[in-house]
Amino acid sequence: MKKQLLAVEGTLTPLSSKSHITYSCLVDEDPASLDMEFRYTPKVMEDPEASRLLIWEAIEKYEAAELVELRKAEWERYMPLQNLLTLSVDDPHGFRGSAHRHPSEQRHMLCEQEASPGFLAGPLPSGIWKITISVHCVVTPECTYQLIVHKGGQSRDLGSVRAAHAYTT
Amino acid sequence: MIWVPFELHTHTPHSDGRHSLAEMCREAGRLGLQGIALTDHNTAAGLAEAEHIQQTTGVAVIPGMEWTTFYGHMLTLGAPYTEWRDLGPRDIHKGIRRVHEAGGIVGIAHPYTMGSPICTGCHWEYDITDWSDLDYIEVWHGMMPALRPYNWPALQLWDQLLNEGHRITATAGRDWHHSDLLGGAPAFTYIGLEHEEDRFSREKVVQAISHGRCYLSVGPRLHVEARLGGRAYFLGDCVDSSSNIGGEMSLRLQLDSSTASGNLGERVVVTKLILESNLGEITEIPWREDQSEAEHLVSIEGLRWLRVKAEGLMESSPIPLAMTNPIYVSSPPVPEPERAAV
Repeated sequence: MKKQLLAVEGTLTPLSSKSHITYSCLVDEDPASLDMEFRYTPKVMEDPEASRLLIWEAIEKYEAAELVELRKAEWERYMPLQNLLTLSVDDPHGFRGSAHRHPSEQRHMLCEQEASPGFLAGPLPSGIWKITISVHCVVTPECTYQLIVHKGGQSRDLGSVRAAHAYTT
Repeated sequence: MIWVPFELHTHTPHSDGRHSLAEMCREAGRLGLQGIALTDHNTAAGLAEAEHIQQTTGVAVIPGMEWTTFYGHMLTLGAPYTEWRDLGPRDIHKGIRRVHEAGGIVGIAHPYTMGSPICTGCHWEYDITDWSDLDYIEVWHGMMPALRPYNWPALQLWDQLLNEGHRITATAGRDWHHSDLLGGAPAFTYIGLEHEEDRFSREKVVQAISHGRCYLSVGPRLHVEARLGGRAYFLGDCVDSSSNIGGEMSLRLQLDSSTASGNLGERVVVTKLILESNLGEITEIPWREDQSEAEHLVSIEGLRWLRVKAEGLMESSPIPLAMTNPIYVSSPPVPEPERAAV
């Protein structure tokens, strides 16, 4: 039977960029599967003036001196700026995978026989599991996230994860 | 030695790629590639299907990852998953040690692309205190890499490191996320192996790249061999100059544009080969379309490294088409200082 193991949410600001938030939760008996739902909002920064300032700042920091003015003039090609949060999982014995991808609503499953892309299928040992949200970038003034973990779910709908690949870098 | 074309920077849906490993390997075979490194962001989960896919497509799949961190993207090759999440901007040597201890090598991916928030963590910002810890640098990133401005400082960095005496390998990487033919031609990394079948050997591919036995090309195949004192030297080798101080080494240069495999059908014409070194540009060798070979003598006086660049026309535009890793020259022994009279 499906049982909730973890349900958390939080609010991030740009100060949270380049940090990891790790949740530990007890998996107290070998479940048939683990099911993770993860979402955050907003995904993109809508404010054009705030975006321009951030883009110009990045151009000045990273672009070759002779290209800075050219790039600043075409700053809109870097729009929209996006928040990027990714999820990775460790079982009591070590790394079980990562979903480094761009959609802001994701669902991942781990079972003995199969796993969502990015994760490793195999036994789901009891003990303390860790789920890490890697905050690669928050550009918006606030970004809220929600993470829900179930165990024992029967769904094997891995296709929903694949269909969510809207973005690539 | 044969030169086997590889793509060393790829992604699948195990991170944010849009083609499956099977789709990518089929497309790789169509382009003339004989191997790829699977370098998904922060996971090696895609390797579970690699064995089956390399058997059915004939395209070798070498394990790797792209550490997609907050302070830079680092490619690993030949190692299983290695941990990156606990490293700050001054801890990269600890991370590199993990990869080396796991039998792999590391390279900086696209060191000078835009960083956050335009491309999060894409610009290399880790402190490197010992460059000899780095095995390679992706000097050519993306499609038509020689034309991308962010690759120019990568080449400058590489030159500077070579001039300082480091032996760091240059590689090309398409950063392959989907099979659409957008953005021109990719460059392949041609890896020097003893046998074609060696492409399936993680150890042999890693060893060849680590040694610098490779060249980068959007089309032409280059073969460069140096001879000195009756010995032959290939890319990445170090010529022993101790018994030939002030002598000349003979370079044998062979080039074949007709087998260009990464060019996706564009017509490629090589117009000249350029010999570049720690002493700057040594010479330009004009190349005729019907030419396949040349010999050239180079003085080893003051020479520490030498590489060959092929320039020419792609779609009628002049661009660098291929670039080798260096052949190195050892320093001559420093003469014993004369004993001062007491």
